Amino acid sequence: MTGHVRAELEVRDLTVEFPSGGYVVRPLSGLSFNADDGELVVVLGPSGCGKTTLLSCLAGLLTPTSGSISFRHNDVGNLTGPALGEYRRYTVGVVFQAFNLIRSLSARANVMAPLRLARLPYKAAAQRADDLLEVVGLSDRAGHRPGQLSGGQQQRVAIARALAHDPPLVVADEPTAHLDYIQVEGVLRLLRQLSVPGRMVLVSTHDDRITNIADRVIELAPHFAAADRAPEEVSLADGEILFEQGDRGDLVYLVNEGEVEIYRVRADGAEEGLAVIGVGNYFGELGPILNLPRSAYARAKGACRLTGYTVRAFRQRFPGTGVAANPAAGSPL
Amino acid sequence: MPVEHRAPETTVSYAFEPVDTTRRTVGILGITLQDLRFRARQFLIAVIGAGLVFAMGLLLSGMVAGLGNEIAQTVGAARADSWVLSTGASGRVDALSTMPSSTVSAVAREPGVVRAQPIIVVPEATRVGTVTDSVVLIGGRSEGLGTTVLTAGRGVRGNGDAVVDARLGLGVGGHFTVAGLTFRVVGTVAGKTLLGGQPDAYVTLHDAQAVLYGGRPLIGAVITSGTPRRLPPGLSAYSNQQIETASLDQMAPVVSSISNSRAFMWVIAVFIVAALVYVTALERTRDFAVLKALGASSAMLFAGLVVQAVLVSLAAAAMAALIANLMKGLFAQPVDIPTSAFVVLPVTALVVGIIASLAALRRAVSADPAIAFAG
Repeated sequence: MTGHVRAELEVRDLTVEFPSGGYVVRPLSGLSFNADDGELVVVLGPSGCGKTTLLSCLAGLLTPTSGSISFRHNDVGNLTGPALGEYRRYTVGVVFQAFNLIRSLSARANVMAPLRLARLPYKAAAQRADDLLEVVGLSDRAGHRPGQLSGGQQQRVAIARALAHDPPLVVADEPTAHLDYIQVEGVLRLLRQLSVPGRMVLVSTHDDRITNIADRVIELAPHFAAADRAPEEVSLADGEILFEQGDRGDLVYLVNEGEVEIYRVRADGAEEGLAVIGVGNYFGELGPILNLPRSAYARAKGACRLTGYTVRAFRQRFPGTGVAANPAAGSPL
Repeated sequence: MPVEHRAPETTVSYAFEPVDTTRRTVGILGITLQDLRFRARQFLIAVIGAGLVFAMGLLLSGMVAGLGNEIAQTVGAARADSWVLSTGASGRVDALSTMPSSTVSAVAREPGVVRAQPIIVVPEATRVGTVTDSVVLIGGRSEGLGTTVLTAGRGVRGNGDAVVDARLGLGVGGHFTVAGLTFRVVGTVAGKTLLGGQPDAYVTLHDAQAVLYGGRPLIGAVITSGTPRRLPPGLSAYSNQQIETASLDQMAPVVSSISNSRAFMWVIAVFIVAALVYVTALERTRDFAVLKALGASSAMLFAGLVVQAVLVSLAAAAMAALIANLMKGLFAQPVDIPTSAFVVLPVTALVVGIIASLAALRRAVSADPAIAFAG
């Protein structure tokens, strides 16, 4: 055989940018991974790392800025019109963090909703909903509205709804976020059971305990704070950009020579100066500490020379320094 | 590094029948109706609010119709083919003209006239017990033209007798006074009023002359059976239709005010239903996002909003018809709600519903399915 066997799900160089609060934010930057049929894939990362953005793209609800998503050889990012509608309806089932059941509908009617919207006759839709509610163990609650169900029960109804069209891809966004540990167990057991040949289940979470039941884990934010390596000397020419807004980085920079200007780029493209960091001052500590993307650009103002420290090395080298001790930095980076 | 995991012991598979797309079942309708039921209290408030406004609209329609109908009833009750007035008279039934009684015999001799009789129509103040009221005194010959069909009692036979409309509030045997003359009610009629509900009071020509002309032999008009082909100089013939039109013309400002108020009522109804639909749409923003994520189109969501608004409007219209029928007797002036209004109302309600749902159109169209992911 020549050539490789293509994975069921291929995400390549996925980047998503959108305006928010007057600035351009980039929750995903160059993400790539594969996943195969029948796998339970856990997308792990803290809040704000782009998990929901990734799931929105996989669900066909958000168009990536660049990169590609291929599921079963369909380029999801390029789907439009009826093809996109078909994909959303029949290829992917979504389980939302906040359950998102329709309050006015019973559990059965909630599961029936996607079927009825696809014009399945009432009787067939009701039968299908009852079958799915039985699968998630809620046959006896079929006539109850969401307000009469516990969080775990609501999430199981949401899972049943996501399975309405028997989609080959189920994405679940923080499905255990609002549940107690007893309910968490039931929901995770169900998601694990659903990951069988013919279906891939992709779960986003910030709780790394869930990785224990995963077939594959995609970490969206590596733990920079725990990493360590030797300090890095950096020389920049005038106007050279050290890092961009939305980049991920693991180094805190100390200015040894020259100056670095910190600025943001607004959604309209205009630059907004935040600070100029001079010799002896540092910047870029919050991103690595909190596993957040850089929230501003850093650009050399004239030729300059910097030293980049990992968070651990920075703390060892400059004990007593921290976020509050560096007002000159001007902004958390 | 992927975590190793043992394959689950239980596997679940779903045999799924293909979707029958030939069925034009619109799933959004069921969701819409269940939402309507879920928000029943909210919708009930809107139905009551819009229903009361619709009822007021119906009653105002009835008032406009009533003004025309009472004139037609009073004019028609004279059973005349034509009305002979002084040339230049306004033609209003409540403000005829003044002419000598001898005009009657002069008109009677003209070709085309089968029968001619005098009539006097004059609005007057009256006292019923200790209460001052208004009547439209109509003087004419007993049992001749100008009398009307009774609902109780007998007709006017002599001076002092009166046949009155039930709105005066007197039954047979009751008494009332006009310009010092006391009348005894000998019979009653229904639906005979003028000037927005002032009851007609049929009396002898003599009594009417006593009230209006101090007993002098003057009359207001000559009514004829048969249409005169020629008239003595200074006289003109008016058809019943001309009399009715001239009489209604004086009510034009009132009719216009009522019609404007009625239009205003429809606008208020639109606002009430629109407010409800809009608030509901605001509350359902996330539902819309979820439904879109589940495959609903903007058009489907909008159709659901239209159905809700139209159902609320139609329910309000049904309630309005009931209320208006119950309330129309409470008004001093005649309220004759035309049958056509009950046909126009649901159509209006339909239009109101559609216009109202436009208020929430943007909400349905702009609902971003990605919002459903927000925690």
